[in-house]
Amino acid sequence: MAYKPQYYPGNTSVAKNRRKHMADDVEKMRDISDEDLTAILGHRAPGSDYPSTHPPLAEMGEPDCPVREVVEPTPGAAAGDRIRYAQFSDSMYNAPSVPYWRSYHAAINFRGVDPGTLSGRQVNEMRERDLEEYTKRQAETEMTDWGLAGLRGCTVHGHSLRLQEDGVMFDMLDRRRLEGGVIVMDKDQVGVPIDRKVNLGKPMTEAEAAKRTTFYRVDNVAFRSDKEVIEWTQRIWELRTKYGFQPKA
Amino acid sequence: MVRTAKVTDKLKQVKIFPQRLLQPETAEKLLNELDQVKGVIRMLISGKNLPRKITCGPGTGKDVNHPDRIIIHVSGCAFELHVIVGEVLVEVEDESAVEELRKACERALPFPFEMKRGYFIKTKPTLTDFGKYGFKSRTDETINLEDERMLGLVDPHAKLETNICMVKAEENP
Repeated sequence: MAYKPQYYPGNTSVAKNRRKHMADDVEKMRDISDEDLTAILGHRAPGSDYPSTHPPLAEMGEPDCPVREVVEPTPGAAAGDRIRYAQFSDSMYNAPSVPYWRSYHAAINFRGVDPGTLSGRQVNEMRERDLEEYTKRQAETEMTDWGLAGLRGCTVHGHSLRLQEDGVMFDMLDRRRLEGGVIVMDKDQVGVPIDRKVNLGKPMTEAEAAKRTTFYRVDNVAFRSDKEVIEWTQRIWELRTKYGFQPKA
Repeated sequence: MVRTAKVTDKLKQVKIFPQRLLQPETAEKLLNELDQVKGVIRMLISGKNLPRKITCGPGTGKDVNHPDRIIIHVSGCAFELHVIVGEVLVEVEDESAVEELRKACERALPFPFEMKRGYFIKTKPTLTDFGKYGFKSRTDETINLEDERMLGLVDPHAKLETNICMVKAEENP
């Protein structure tokens, strides 16, 4: 039988969703075209060539190295793309992804990633074409509800704020908003206007967001309601503490 | 708001904390309802800033044009919202007005809200205020401010004129 890793303990819906995110077993919910995605990322003009920071690896004449022979470069690295970033903010009001789970998803399922996790946002640096592939995966699937999350390169404020009256997470730079029942974005991730209105689809209802979220909340699925998670969290904490304890210090 | 009320130690302050951040229309409705309550001395709205321009990142200097940054009218006085309203602090003359405030909120807000009583806006000048306004004279060491209700309503570095709205000021001497 093939080995099937189990990434996260627990039997609650939140624990199951966390496992799904880590295993990249997520449902696709919307289509965002490559050009639209490039536009909202804002790193290059849609349709233009990828700027490069070095020649393609095949032309560079790499040194003789067993590790380089074993590890196949990602498409972005092979082409010499620049390192670019994408940053998501997620509302604590039942957004589908906890920032840490975006990092886990990126680090487990993609190569050449440099994820950075903060309390309310997650930034990921990759080669440009790899980054677009990764961002598209997160943006099109149930990992992102565009009403409760946002692509925000700067001025990320919103994670811990109450929602607006229309149920959308606050965005100080008004990059994306609810229009006619769908979320539209007409600025890139740093707030610079773009030449199109990108349709990001319908936001989730409150009930659906509560079902798909990876956030533990006392008013939805409480962290302490999952005994297996508590047990493993305490076990790891105990082992870390013992491992880190040095009597000589 | 009444201008004849005196600042005394018996004042009550209430924080109105809605479950959602208010759209300008709801904020306008709420403030107008609160303004109709007898005994309201002053109100302070606060929330998250709606900047006119982007202040950081590669887009610095570009206009934001946030749709919630609009002019609202409260009791005939127009002012531009600089924040998305998250809470309203209200100071009233006495306890009897608090229940009326609750009824006003129930009329204006389509979702739940919390009301907390406490001390949210300062009523006595502090060192910072004396630094900004100074003494009245060499012999009178009270603060050089015509109306002490201004205290605590704006940041010490902000300008009074652009941040305070005097409602019905012309009706009173």
